[in-house]
Amino acid sequence: MAESKIVLPDLPGAEYAPEPPPQGPVVWMKENLFSTPFSVILTIIGGLIAVVSLRGIFGFVANPERIWQAVTTNLRLLMVQAYPDQHMWRVWVSIGVVVVLTALSLAAWRVGGRTSGRKLTGNVMALGGLLAIIGLVADFPFEMNVTWAGIGLALAGLGYMIRRMMGERAKAENIPVLAVAGGLLIGLVASLWVLQVPVPDPDSGIRAATTELLANTTRIPWLLLLITGFVAYGIGIAIRDWKPSRPLLVAGWALSYPVIFLHILRGTRMNNLSEYLLIGLAFLVAGAAIIYALVNLDIGESGRLISGILLIAALVTWATPVLIIIRLLLLILAVFALAAPTFGGSGGSKYRYMGIYAGTVVVMVYLMLLATGTSAVQTQSAVPFGGFMITWLLAIGAVALSFPIGVVLALARTSSLPLFRVMATVYIELVRGVPLITWLLMSVVVFPFLFPEGVEFEDVVKVLLFFTFFSAAYLAENVRGGLQAVSKGQAEASNALGMSTMQRTAFITLPQALRAVIPALVGQVIATFKDTSLVAIVGLFDILLIAKNVVPNQSQPFNFLGSIKENLVVVALVYWIFTFIFSRVSQRIERNLGVGER
Amino acid sequence: MAIGENDIIVCEGVKKWFGDFQALTGVTTNVKEREVVVVIGPSGSGKSTFIRCINRLEQHQEGVIAVDGVEMTNDLRNIEQIRSEVGMVFQQFNLFPHLTILDNITLAPIWVRKRPKDEAEELAMGLLQRVGIPEQANKYPGQLSGGQQQRVAIARALAMEPKIMLFDEPTSALDPEMIKEVLDVMKELAESGMTMVVVTHEMGFAREVADRVLFFDYGTIVEEGTPEHFFTNPQHDRTKLFLSQIL
Amino acid sequence: MAIAQQQRPPIWRNATVLKWGAQIAVFVGLVFLFVTLGAQSLDNFAQRGLSYSYRFLSDPTGFVVREGIAFQPDTGARALYVGLVNTLRITISGIIVATILGTIIGVARLSHNWIVNKIATVYIEVIRNIPLLVQIIFWGAIIQQLKALTDDHIGSYTFWFTSAKGITIPWLFPTATFYQWLVWVIIGAIATRYVYRWRMRVKEATGNETYALSWAFGTFFLFGLIGWFAYPLWSWLGPILGWIGDVIGSIPALAVRLVLLGLVIAGVGAFASRFFSNLRAGDNPQLNNSVIFGMFAVALVLALAVFGGFLAIAGGIEGAGGWLAFALIVAGVAFALKLLIDYVAPRTLVSGLVDDDYFRVIFAVLLGVVFSGLFFGVDVIGETIVKLFSAFFHFLEPKFDGSNTGAPFRYAPPAVEVRGAGFVQLSSESLVITPGFFALWIAVTLYTASFIAEIVRGGILAVSRGQSEAGNALGLSRFQLYRFIVLPQAFRIVLPPIGNQYLNLFKNTSLGIAVAFSDIVQVGQTLYNQTGQTVPVVSLWMAFYLSGSLILSSIVNFANRRLKLVER
Ligand SMILES: Nc1ncnc2c1ncn2[C@@H]1O[C@H](COP(=O)(O)OP(=O)(O)O)[C@@H](O)[C@H]1O
Ligand SMILES: [Mg+2]
Repeated sequence: MAESKIVLPDLPGAEYAPEPPPQGPVVWMKENLFSTPFSVILTIIGGLIAVVSLRGIFGFVANPERIWQAVTTNLRLLMVQAYPDQHMWRVWVSIGVVVVLTALSLAAWRVGGRTSGRKLTGNVMALGGLLAIIGLVADFPFEMNVTWAGIGLALAGLGYMIRRMMGERAKAENIPVLAVAGGLLIGLVASLWVLQVPVPDPDSGIRAATTELLANTTRIPWLLLLITGFVAYGIGIAIRDWKPSRPLLVAGWALSYPVIFLHILRGTRMNNLSEYLLIGLAFLVAGAAIIYALVNLDIGESGRLISGILLIAALVTWATPVLIIIRLLLLILAVFALAAPTFGGSGGSKYRYMGIYAGTVVVMVYLMLLATGTSAVQTQSAVPFGGFMITWLLAIGAVALSFPIGVVLALARTSSLPLFRVMATVYIELVRGVPLITWLLMSVVVFPFLFPEGVEFEDVVKVLLFFTFFSAAYLAENVRGGLQAVSKGQAEASNALGMSTMQRTAFITLPQALRAVIPALVGQVIATFKDTSLVAIVGLFDILLIAKNVVPNQSQPFNFLGSIKENLVVVALVYWIFTFIFSRVSQRIERNLGVGER
Repeated sequence: MAIGENDIIVCEGVKKWFGDFQALTGVTTNVKEREVVVVIGPSGSGKSTFIRCINRLEQHQEGVIAVDGVEMTNDLRNIEQIRSEVGMVFQQFNLFPHLTILDNITLAPIWVRKRPKDEAEELAMGLLQRVGIPEQANKYPGQLSGGQQQRVAIARALAMEPKIMLFDEPTSALDPEMIKEVLDVMKELAESGMTMVVVTHEMGFAREVADRVLFFDYGTIVEEGTPEHFFTNPQHDRTKLFLSQIL
Repeated sequence: MAIAQQQRPPIWRNATVLKWGAQIAVFVGLVFLFVTLGAQSLDNFAQRGLSYSYRFLSDPTGFVVREGIAFQPDTGARALYVGLVNTLRITISGIIVATILGTIIGVARLSHNWIVNKIATVYIEVIRNIPLLVQIIFWGAIIQQLKALTDDHIGSYTFWFTSAKGITIPWLFPTATFYQWLVWVIIGAIATRYVYRWRMRVKEATGNETYALSWAFGTFFLFGLIGWFAYPLWSWLGPILGWIGDVIGSIPALAVRLVLLGLVIAGVGAFASRFFSNLRAGDNPQLNNSVIFGMFAVALVLALAVFGGFLAIAGGIEGAGGWLAFALIVAGVAFALKLLIDYVAPRTLVSGLVDDDYFRVIFAVLLGVVFSGLFFGVDVIGETIVKLFSAFFHFLEPKFDGSNTGAPFRYAPPAVEVRGAGFVQLSSESLVITPGFFALWIAVTLYTASFIAEIVRGGILAVSRGQSEAGNALGLSRFQLYRFIVLPQAFRIVLPPIGNQYLNLFKNTSLGIAVAFSDIVQVGQTLYNQTGQTVPVVSLWMAFYLSGSLILSSIVNFANRRLKLVER
């Protein structure tokens, strides 16, 4: 019968106790592997599957036909494509920015619990056990089997010894997780100074002519990054009690994307510096005055009328050949003027509102300077991005840009205004009903036709735009879930207090809705990150396309022909590491939210 | 119906439909300044709908409602004005769970009344003092008991300095031992001269505090009068039946 | 105190005016944007000496689609159709296997057996966190690098042959007598139903175990067995089928067009009535008969207007007649709108419907309009339908020829054959799974299974928390607990998210383009590379995927509703 094929778990709903009582391996095996006859059968089948898979995987890796050198030699190609040598420091600086921000954030949000010696040694022992098993079953050359098994047993033994030595102290949860992570990082970087890598000889074409230490261009930057990270963490601890530190860090993260991708990596030369600065200044002064007036005087509807006229003027400029930056700044001003009575407040909040306006103008001017600037980094393609770099460019860009769009769409879809609702619904269902790849193909073959001659977009920009629109539709559905979870009473209470629709949305509904859907949003980030691999199909040289088409076709100076599987495995690994980290972070956030922290 | 000198709420022939179902079948009554009106009636009789129409959480379709001399129309300004003059307390508290108690209370004064933050906080602390829980200011609503939450809700409504307070069964979701602490606050409020419209099943409160009792059934006022008249000498059969069931 | 009477507030303060003003402004702005972009694209297209046209559908293509069903005739439409069938093949087979695999792994993830649990966990964590495209290309690379077949393989017997050209596995192919056998099976299925019911009735009446299921299986098997030998009994069907084909072939196309139009209008009407009666029966008490009648009036007027318009266009009415028809349409639409605004909208649209309902209604009306336009405006459709149906019967005709003999199935073992100058290849007699199909199918299936597993696990956990205690209290065994308590309830919980996964799988098949699998996207891409007709091809894609998604989600919704009904 069909049912008997389904593997029945022994007990539904039960999760493992965090720590099994220390009864020794025999009891453990009896309970977890051989509790019932059925369980014995399962254990045998499972064991077979495990052995066969391990043998297969490690046989694949150790197979002499594998050209792993195709990957190690081309790591840089995979990561940054043809990014010029003399500009590589830009890549390191960009990583540095991320490292510093990460370290500061870890400190500011007090991330990191404590773990016990027992758990740590347990992990070491498990790792050792795994290595030993691999050594025993894998389809390696014999010496390698012995080596692996030996190392594994040694590790397991080491873990056991340490645990014995610690005795009762091992149970105390007093080892900071971050310290362990830091130690591991130090170990990793230190290994760069010790490990030898095979070096090909370009003249003879022999792949592993000699072995050498890693090049200085790699291990010195990593060392510097490590030190920077530690220093930044220290600084973070010093300033974390300073109240604005968290908001500043959030702003820093938000700005890091344009700073890294549009400024540092592109090596942007700002051609219109003086002109744009003047324009920006003018808008700062005029805008501040207008907003001050709108906030300050109790001018009621006439204020609304003024900002309405401002908005229409801003929209009209889009039909004229006025400088784009002026059109944008005017639009920003109009929006801020419109929202002034709602969010202007009084007293201190009035100045804070003007400060936010000023900040927006400054960021806008900066962005426009970057957008109109020329790149100092010259590569064959017009945009110096490729490899894994482009994955991040697209993933973060799409998520960041689609977030506001998605929120607006979700609000429209749950709005009480039927036309908005219909428009949002049509958009969302249309986008979600059609696979991403067809949208990407459209971005290449249909989108360019929509604009008059002379308007041209780089491929990356087109793809990024479509990614954004696509991801926005999915995001909107997630946010909608959150909005629907906010009880009706919340809206009624804010209405009864006289809040306007905008205030209610900004202060009451959205914060609650977003908080409820953080896990779903992280899931969306993961999905987008994985989806970026699709750009390979439309011909952007991301890590996947390089791994699939470029490296396996190299025959000069070394013969890497047909090394596609090796490359794909590494690409998969790279993706896996990041997705796995994301999903763990998401679970952590979910747990924290569940506990009801705030 | 004549409009008295100090009638602060005027309702005339108010009708309201939900789809084809008529929830209010013509409500006519006036509320004077400083008056405490208690609304009672069987469940589903339209009590909530009625008081929600007074601050336009529901939109009536026929008739006139005017609050403090301003008629309720589609005029945005009127709606805003009325809402910030009428405070409301709900059965389910409806505190904002993501904000502290203090922020719950100061949010509207700061953004709607445009008060400076420190002034609003001062006011909020005063109100918390008045409802008896100043020590809870920095907690989140989830950390408070039901009675405390409802008192915060009252403080939140009072922070807007309303001329009228509406209560929709403020004690129905509370455990018995917490009802009194809320009713005490409400009594104190009534004594201070606040105009109040209260939907409640607490007959003791009605007897003690109300100036007038309205009995609702089938979407309209079946009987009204002073509590004395109402509880000792009800005229209408339906009122008698209701009182016999509830007392 | 006087009331400040103010009947009409100024426009800029009137809540209603502001609301509708903002909505209409945004809407008009969007329409304007799209019209501008669309016009620009037409312009740009014209500059290349092209104009949008669907003629490539009936023109011969310059390429051959080798995957799947026969590429005959070699028109663009056929190419897309072949691609569509390929997409559906992967989707359906993928859904079936992914569901089974995912359920097993999801349950294994909860197992108390350590090793089973760990294997399931590792599977899920690995597969889920690697982009699907990488996996597809990886499987493609594996099969691409398989060793070539050699002489040694000839005559050897294994369960499969693998080569860079594809994979063969044992398979049963239907033969010429298959269809005659199928008639027996269909009769058997009907008979089975009655036998099962009869045994169940007996069981209910007497209370004895009647082995209804065994009876049912037995009946079905019996008919299959009889059919295996008695298939020639149906050979008289052949001439009749041929005659039906002839009759259908002689139907005038205009009649078909009229019937189709009627069907569309009836369909929209039926949808509307079902939709509104559902609403009335369910959670929406404020819809009464008169409102539904009003909605019907609106739908009817709209349909008549549309119908009149198409009659006018299709009939080629010109001059005064054309203008009259046009005026009729405008008047009809305007009248319908007025009905809607005055009568229906205040009661239903404002408070009754949720946004999905709007979408459904709009989609139904749009579909109705589009299809009635297509059916009536495009001659080819009527003709094609006549041809298709006629061809279907003529296709069946020879299958019921008395001269067909042999078993209804042919067993095709995996085999290799020598072709041309000593090339050893997979035999064309056996089932050859192409590399593209294999890579896409296995990747998509494994990937979806990992998500389904997580859903199944979540569903079981959600149910078992409270329910299993109740079950244990009743003294049920673990198997009974699962069979009767946990799984049925978990099924209800997991159905909607699993339906979502089916949709994802359906859309993910489009990634086959990376391994040159000829699905509808890949074929479409080849088509527009040849003809330059990007927008028409894209429109066909969207139509296909949108209707596919809609159909799949309605199937899932239907199942969901059925389950909920049972639950009550
Ligand atoms: N939003 C609504 N939609 C439809 N019917 C409603 C709605 N709100 C209230 N009703 C109906 O109006 C009637 C009066 O409700 P309500 O004023 O809440 O009664 P009460 O507060 O006296 O119990 C009830 O029959 C209720 O079902
Ligand atoms: Mg009520």
